[in-house]
Amino acid sequence: MPSAAARPAVGFALLALAGLALPLFTRDAYHLDVATTMAMNLSLTMGLRLQMSTGQINMAHISFMGIGAYTSALLVTRVGLSFWATLWIAAGVAAACAVLIGSLALRVSGPYYFLISFAFSEVVRLFFNNFFEDLFGGPSGLVGIPKPTPLPGLGLAVEGKLELYYLMLVLFLLAAVVFIRLEYSRFGLVASTIRQADLLAETLGVNVFRHKLATFVLGSLVAGLAGAFFVHSHQVLHSSDFGLEPMVLLVVFTVIGGTGSVWGPVVGTILLGVAVEFLRQLGHYETLVLGGVLMLTMLFAPEGLIALPGKVARRVRHRRTRKAATAVGVGLAP
Amino acid sequence: MAVSDLSMSVIKGTIHGLIGPNGAGKSTVFNLIPGVLPLTQGEIRFKGERISGLRPSEVCRRGIARTFQATTLFREYTVFQNVLVAAHRLAAPGLGSALVWSRTYRGREQAARERARTLLAALNLAAVADEVAGSLPHRDQKALVLAMALATGAELVILDEPMAGLAAQEKDATTEALRGLRREGLTILLVEHDMRAVMGVCDTITVLDHGVRIAEGTPREIQENPAVIEAYLGVEDPGA
Amino acid sequence: MSIDLLVQALLNGFGLAMVYVLVALGLTLIFSILEVINFAHGEFYMLGGYVTYYVFAVFGLNYFATLGVAIMVVGLAGVVAERLVFRHLRHKTLNAFIVSLGLLWVLQASAQLSFGVLDKPVPSAFSGIVRGFGVIMSMERLVVTLSAIVLIVALYLFLKWSGPGRAMRAVAQDADAAALQGVNIELVSALGFGIGCALAGGAGALLAPVFAVSPAMGALPVVKAFIIIIVGGMGSLPGAVLGGLLLGCVEGIGSLFMGSAAVNVLGFLMVIVVLLVRPRGLLGA
Repeated sequence: MPSAAARPAVGFALLALAGLALPLFTRDAYHLDVATTMAMNLSLTMGLRLQMSTGQINMAHISFMGIGAYTSALLVTRVGLSFWATLWIAAGVAAACAVLIGSLALRVSGPYYFLISFAFSEVVRLFFNNFFEDLFGGPSGLVGIPKPTPLPGLGLAVEGKLELYYLMLVLFLLAAVVFIRLEYSRFGLVASTIRQADLLAETLGVNVFRHKLATFVLGSLVAGLAGAFFVHSHQVLHSSDFGLEPMVLLVVFTVIGGTGSVWGPVVGTILLGVAVEFLRQLGHYETLVLGGVLMLTMLFAPEGLIALPGKVARRVRHRRTRKAATAVGVGLAP
Repeated sequence: MAVSDLSMSVIKGTIHGLIGPNGAGKSTVFNLIPGVLPLTQGEIRFKGERISGLRPSEVCRRGIARTFQATTLFREYTVFQNVLVAAHRLAAPGLGSALVWSRTYRGREQAARERARTLLAALNLAAVADEVAGSLPHRDQKALVLAMALATGAELVILDEPMAGLAAQEKDATTEALRGLRREGLTILLVEHDMRAVMGVCDTITVLDHGVRIAEGTPREIQENPAVIEAYLGVEDPGA
Repeated sequence: MSIDLLVQALLNGFGLAMVYVLVALGLTLIFSILEVINFAHGEFYMLGGYVTYYVFAVFGLNYFATLGVAIMVVGLAGVVAERLVFRHLRHKTLNAFIVSLGLLWVLQASAQLSFGVLDKPVPSAFSGIVRGFGVIMSMERLVVTLSAIVLIVALYLFLKWSGPGRAMRAVAQDADAAALQGVNIELVSALGFGIGCALAGGAGALLAPVFAVSPAMGALPVVKAFIIIIVGGMGSLPGAVLGGLLLGCVEGIGSLFMGSAAVNVLGFLMVIVVLLVRPRGLLGA
């Protein structure tokens, strides 16, 4: 299959180009904010989607963002480490927690897994919200978290909107390389089989538990990275940033985009991310519209937007073969 | 149905049949060997090593493949993709090499793809290689299931009703295919209800009834064994 | 720590838990018949609360009559939701869950737009305090607890002795077998969903005077309901009652030692333990 290697490279190149070129079209602070958030959400939804391809709906995904955020914030403010170190430490801590939580949660599957991951997410949120208040700030959260210090070695300041955007973009592109590579490798090929028929996959030599755990830990590592970035760009941290609301939004982006392909969440996050900005002015109507869109998509296009072109193509091809068959039939009729 | 008393050996390079009336425990045996069901008593050994207690992916790794009764396939994937996945035992890298696409990874993937193509050609599936597995007619699905079991490169292949739902011609083709596999050195254990096919292709047959082994031997010996006849006739004709 | 204090704490926990059991019963009934997890279940609870506000607090109808009205109105809303949305998603648990998330947002936003965001207080229907055996309970709480128990018993009797109830149990056990025996699956599905929501609406009506009514009031009860049905076993009605009793005890005793926010963690820890040790729940299939 000659084009198999080309597609991911082309897709990635397009993403990277679009991301890098964006500031050429606008330097508006608000636009850059939206783009930065979008890049962060893209990292999160791509990871979530990798997990969903194995059949897991991981409601605790956002919790690992929170773990990364609190880890980095505390290491910078209390221990005095540099952001450039805590960024990776936060990712590591999130990954380590993911190994623990994942090993427990992945013992069950289906709706039970969804519920246990939801329980874990609430435990984490309540933990940060109510316990060790002098460390985590309690219900008021943490404030005054410093922006990243200038990039060591190059001495580049990373405090402005533009620099922060590029930082998040680079982090996202790094994550995207990993996710796209995996998707087009045996790892990605096998991941979806776990969702389709996990017993068959297991008897064919796939260690289903380990595979699921790998997707869980990888997604959580990237989430931890995103969390560290989030806390130092926003400078305030509150446990509601990692609660059900933002998690559901991630699920919506991923599902509406489509979980069947690594590009699904890209489509969903970008399109809906833009839509949300327009809808925001509508106040409560925003939630209403999003909810309606989610329901309609799941009822009529459950495979998401990314699957629509394929479906249309198949419908057209089916109609063409039917026409051809009829034509042959007419020719053979006595 | 529980299996309570079974002692069975499958000899390398032979085709071994497992038969018995409905509910005899044949499916249970087929689930115990790959580790899908846990063994509560006794043990299972393969090539001299104990495999009972291992998870199914480990059992596959050791060299045992199985098919499922209902044609269990990856229905959303194409025929080619199904066989490619099944070659996992021979290809399987870890997360690391899947990320880096090292030379070893690429070499093994290439080998897996070639193996898949060869198998599809051998089983007359090359024409439908890009069709979605869920849309195939029954006989092609059966062939695909066999192709996947062979793709693992396992030395022992356990087939669960390979002839079910096939027309007479197709059954003969399958029988020929099995003989060919035996010639290549594969060991086959199968469960089947079609007695003609079983007697025609198996070297040894074990008969199970109500979870207990009641006979074992060549097809001729089994056909003449009174306990076997009674087990089958007893079910059909209780008043006789 | 006196026995009285302990018993009082248990009683408080128990009283509230009985109402959450109603919500949980509705959720598990829906799951047992349609095999869907309705994340928007709390919104039907909220609807019951608003019906109570408008019919009891504003219009002035007798409290128990209002309870009846709330149950019927929300039950009807449930039937509508099933016919429009959930009948297409029977047995597709994960898809249904995501659709129910969308429904949650739609209902919540509709409530915010129709009723406004602010709390609406509902006056107590019963005043006074009841004392006995060294413990105290407000008349209101006592009525609420007893009403919840009455509804639970009514549900039990309905499922056990009535025709539709038996049909629902048959479908919950084995939908295909029930269909072969001539049970109208569509009717049972709509009825089951309606009754499930009606129970939630009733719970909302019962707790409206206790906690005030707001668009977000359904969030906490539905979470408690999920905890209860996981602990008790998804699809098991006695399990829901048992799970509720356990949760009530745990939270009641927990409230003696930690603040209410921290007490919420206990429920989730129970969930995690149960899902790891016995995923199908205490009385689950």
